Amino acid sequence: MMGKQTDVITSSGDEVFDIELEADILKANRELALENHAKLKQNGITAIDVMGSVGSGKTSIIKAMVSVLKKNHRIAVIEGDVTTTIDADIIAAEGIPTVQVNTGKECHLDANLIKKALTRMRLSELDLIFIENVGNLICPAEFPLGSDKRLVVISVTEGPYMVVKHPMMFYEADSVAINKVDLADAMGVKPSKLHEDISRINPEAKVVSTDCRNNLGITEVIRSLGFTDA
Amino acid sequence: MDLMHEFSIASSLVDTLMEFAEKDDLKGKLLEVHLRIGKLRAISIEQLKFSYKVLAKGQFLNGSKLIVEETPAIIHCPECGLKKDFELVDDSYHFGLPTLSCPRCDAPVNLEGGDAVVITKVRIRGTRSKK
Repeated sequence: MMGKQTDVITSSGDEVFDIELEADILKANRELALENHAKLKQNGITAIDVMGSVGSGKTSIIKAMVSVLKKNHRIAVIEGDVTTTIDADIIAAEGIPTVQVNTGKECHLDANLIKKALTRMRLSELDLIFIENVGNLICPAEFPLGSDKRLVVISVTEGPYMVVKHPMMFYEADSVAINKVDLADAMGVKPSKLHEDISRINPEAKVVSTDCRNNLGITEVIRSLGFTDA
Repeated sequence: MDLMHEFSIASSLVDTLMEFAEKDDLKGKLLEVHLRIGKLRAISIEQLKFSYKVLAKGQFLNGSKLIVEETPAIIHCPECGLKKDFELVDDSYHFGLPTLSCPRCDAPVNLEGGDAVVITKVRIRGTRSKK
């Protein structure tokens, strides 16, 4: 029975061929974000991601919220910056644990950096974490971290068109603070117009005007994030 | 080095391709990488291509081209049931203002799709692995 074997087609080496696939490039980050979320939930922790431009007042708002919320909550803050520990030092003055994450060359935090930051924290001793993202209006929107809510901080000093120029940041915002409203007249910017723009992009986002220097609007921001103890 | 998220995305793309080549034991040269990128992604295709060119080193990746297909997002209104492609609304600023309110009844809409960053196909010159 040693008949001729079936012909076997062998590749002659070089050929051009296509392979169809469905490989999600951002899957790794998303999966890590889900892991972070699960880890936070296991420890009964609410996490709030705070985003906005450089100098919009993210650190000031976090500091002001921490000062109110620390009475009833065990809080920690993760500070994301390209470099330096200036923001972490400001928050640490409130007497709460802070972890500085320096991204080095990257313009945003990603889920892997948050995963690392969480290993440095005593999660069993916390119930609330603020994550201050790197000051940037575009990139962080692409990288979920595993938080529960997203607060975007903008300021009137960024000019009248900042919302319409950076709509991506507002799509997934739960709350938006329009900061530095004390400077609105000097800037010739109407906070009500910014509010209108935000609501057109994302009608479900809660919008609050704040003036961090004079501690105005902080209670409203805290409430907009779902806390009832302010 | 420029600060931009396209660089991170290109870097994930390179990692994904290398893993794929290793897993399937692909030998030869990658010619084309086809991507599907959702309209809602704030990704500059030009910057992505530039970052990819910088990062795609080594025998397998070097010289390969990115070919990008942009895909729409669909808005779905839970109030009036309207379903259509998400569009940019031009307003008085002459910026394209994307909006999450229903163009028919003004209620908040749900978005479906538009957020993909997916490799759909690769074209290779080389030896196909035996399966």
